Amino acid sequence: MSKHAITLIVNGDEYTLNVPANRTLLEALREDVGLTDAKYGCGTGECGACTVLVDGTRAINACLTLAVAMDGKEITTAAGLAMDGVLHPVQQAFADKAAVQCGYCTPGMVLKTISLLAQNANPTEQEIRKGLEGNICRCTGYAKIVDAVQQAARTMNAETPARRAAGGNA
Amino acid sequence: MSTRILPEFDLLAPQSVTEALDLLATYKDRVTVMAGGTDVLVAMKSRFRTETVMILSGISGMDYIEYDATAGLRIGALATVGQLLDHADVKKKYRALWEAADIFATPQLRNTATVVGNLLRASPAGDCSCAIYAIGGKLLLQSKTGRREVDVDDLWLSYGVTARMANELAVELLLPAVGKDTRTAFQRVTRVNEDLAKLNMAVRLDMSGKICKTARVAMGCVGPTPRRLTGIEGQLEGREITEAVLQKAADTVASEISPIDDIRSTAEYRRDVAGVFLRRTIQQACAGAR
Repeated sequence: MSKHAITLIVNGDEYTLNVPANRTLLEALREDVGLTDAKYGCGTGECGACTVLVDGTRAINACLTLAVAMDGKEITTAAGLAMDGVLHPVQQAFADKAAVQCGYCTPGMVLKTISLLAQNANPTEQEIRKGLEGNICRCTGYAKIVDAVQQAARTMNAETPARRAAGGNA
Repeated sequence: MSTRILPEFDLLAPQSVTEALDLLATYKDRVTVMAGGTDVLVAMKSRFRTETVMILSGISGMDYIEYDATAGLRIGALATVGQLLDHADVKKKYRALWEAADIFATPQLRNTATVVGNLLRASPAGDCSCAIYAIGGKLLLQSKTGRREVDVDDLWLSYGVTARMANELAVELLLPAVGKDTRTAFQRVTRVNEDLAKLNMAVRLDMSGKICKTARVAMGCVGPTPRRLTGIEGQLEGREITEAVLQKAADTVASEISPIDDIRSTAEYRRDVAGVFLRRTIQQACAGAR
């Protein structure tokens, strides 16, 4: 089997890896980089537990992506969201609303929520449910997850003008 | 077999179309071409085995979707299903394709799966495939010796088999320009949205006032490849789409399809709902969505 030298920029840090052809992005993150927040769920792109963001806000299934195909890309996992010990507003909303039961789907849910809110800052409940349709919560705690996404949207919309005024990134 | 670890294979990662064509000329049918990979990798995690995979992700400039009022819609081989949703001309002028993209799999898969890959998978259940079949179009295939166009009507030979030859790379899909009198619609039957279709269908009606001049009707999951229902098209063409015309189409569609029992549905159910959804899809197209 062929091996390939690739570079991944994960949560802002650059990793040079030598991976076999059949290495998925999920395995590269978990086994090579050592970040276990992206989860293995179904392995076939249905549950969304392995969701990561590529180049900012594009959500993909890491289990159905070859590591080699991500050479040179910026990958964001849930572990890269908190800044200086302060949770991302989406993470804070999931904690505040107790939108977590066993927690296995949570990193994927949080990342997909960030992707959704980047496209649509004020989603309706229906739009939230459609936006998260590729993320399955086996504990079935969807009501609180929807609450959390709505709170995160409110927080981020309130923060955005203040951050802009301060010259920071929205 | 594991859904976590892929079987072993050698990987080719060309950085240009020229390099990809050279590799195809050398490897021919010993290489599996992969764009988004959402079908190939799932198949490999199940039973499919291949010695060599060629990924196209390193080739830049193939992920375009461009509309021109004369030429039509050009979709590059690496353009994703998700990109269709963000394209205003697709939403406005190729409504059936936009609707198929909107319910296609999940957001994460839409961000990875390619439109051209959906065609080349040659599955009878492909949602974008069904919409494109109704709209009509041409797939541009390139090899070291030249280029040729394959009409979507001639693309699918049997389940999983297309007219693409082993030394050819699909580089672009071209959909015809459509006017203001062209109306298209798409509908799908599933248990939950994430499922593959039990049945899907798309129509394209080219109207002249109230009269349907020409019709293209495509249905999926009712045969080994997506089907064109030419008998139904004949019933619609040259007529106003009245209740009587709709009723006759709904009553006769079962004779034009050959569905089977499988994991997602039964032949009996598919025959039953085909008429209902044919009527709804035509009505949806007539209601003004293009």
